[in-house]
Amino acid sequence: MRCMHITSGLLSIVGAAFLFGTVHALVIEPVDISKVDLGDADAPVQGQGRREKPPAQTETQEDESQELATEVEVKDTGTDPLSMPFSPVELDVPDEILDAPVPDGTLTLRQSYRLWEEGAYFIDARHEHEFEEGHIQYAAWLASSLFDTDSDRAFGIANDMPPESTVVIYCVGGECDASHNVARRLAQIGFTDLRIMGVGYTDWVNAGFPTEEGSAP
Amino acid sequence: MSKHAIPQTSMVESILLQLPLRLFLGAVFVFAAYNKIPAIQSFAEAIKGFQVVDADTHPELIIIGAFVIPWFELFAGLMLILGLRARSAALGIGALLAVFIYALMHVILTDVSADCSCFGDENFICGSSVGWCQVIRNVVFLIPTAYLLVRGPGRVSIDQKLSNTDQNPDSHAYHPESLGNPVDADASRA
Repeated sequence: MRCMHITSGLLSIVGAAFLFGTVHALVIEPVDISKVDLGDADAPVQGQGRREKPPAQTETQEDESQELATEVEVKDTGTDPLSMPFSPVELDVPDEILDAPVPDGTLTLRQSYRLWEEGAYFIDARHEHEFEEGHIQYAAWLASSLFDTDSDRAFGIANDMPPESTVVIYCVGGECDASHNVARRLAQIGFTDLRIMGVGYTDWVNAGFPTEEGSAP
Repeated sequence: MSKHAIPQTSMVESILLQLPLRLFLGAVFVFAAYNKIPAIQSFAEAIKGFQVVDADTHPELIIIGAFVIPWFELFAGLMLILGLRARSAALGIGALLAVFIYALMHVILTDVSADCSCFGDENFICGSSVGWCQVIRNVVFLIPTAYLLVRGPGRVSIDQKLSNTDQNPDSHAYHPESLGNPVDADASRA
C-alpha cells in the first residue's frame, strides 16, 4: 500500500510536468532542432565580406605572421580578394591536414582558410572563456544559448553581419553540435549562406593559421 | 495509524538531516528548472547534443523531454522543499538522476563533445562541458535522495502534518507533541 502511495505521488508529478510542459509548448515559439541547409562548401564568399583587404596586406596579419611558428604563405595578387574568382591557395601545410575528411556538407581546413582569406565572417560557437583564451583571427563569439539568456547581445552580434553574407561557424570540431545550433539560430533570422567548419579550432591552431586572443563583444 | 504513514524519525534527525537535505536537494532542482524553463530551445539542443536519442528519427522525443524535464524538476524540487509527497518526489529525482548519469556516461564513453546544460547556462560545482565531474556530482546527489526515500521527509514537513491529521481525524489543529513515534502518539491520545 505504501509503495502504491509513493508511485501515485510520482505519477502526479509526471502528470503535472506533462500538463505544464504542454501549455508551455503552446505559448512559446516552436522548438526547432532540425538540420540547417548549409551553403556550398566550394562557393566563394557571398555578399559584403568582413575585411576589405587580403590578410597578408594588413598590419595585424604582418605582426601575427612574425609570431606564428608555422608561417602561411598566401599568394599576394595585389587585388581585392572579394573581386577575384576563387583560386586554390598554396599553403605550407600538408595536404592530408588541409583536406582531412570532415562530415558531409562541412568545410575542410583548406576550404575554411580560403573563406577566411576571402573575408568571410567567422563565428566562434565555443564557450566564451574558450573564445577569450584564443580564437580565429577576426572571429566573433556567438553561442546559441545567448539568444535565450541575452538576446540583445546575441542580436547585436548577428546584426553586425549582413544576412546575405557568408558566415563560417566553428567550434571544437568533430561531433561538436554547437556550430549547428548557432547556424540554426542564424538561419531563423534570415542568414542565407551559412557554412560550418568540419574541423575544429585546435586543427586551425595546429596548422599555424592566424589566431588572436581577446574578450567577446 | 494511517495506512500512508511516513517513517517516524526523531526531531533531532528531522532537523539536522532530513530538513537540510530536503532543502538542499529541492533547491538544486528548482535552480536547475529555473535556468532551463526560459531557455527550452537551448535545452533541446543540449539533449540533442548528448546523442542518446537519434534526432533524425525521433526529434519529437527530444522536444517532449525538453519541455517536460524542467517542469518535472521544478515540481519535484518544490515538493521536496515543502515535504509534500516527499518520498514520491525523492523517487522521481532519483530516477531523473539515474537517467542523467546514463546520458553523461554515454557522452563520455562515445567521446562526444557536448555541454551538460544541467543548470541551463549556469554551472554548479562542475564546468559546462560533460565530464566525470558531472557523473560524480549526480552520484553524490543520489545518496541524500536514497536517504530521503527510505527515511521520509521527517517531522518538519507537510507530509507529517497530514499524517497526524489522519491519525487523529477529530483534531485539525497542529499538535507538535503528537509528532513522536507511534508509541508517543498513542500515549498522547490516552
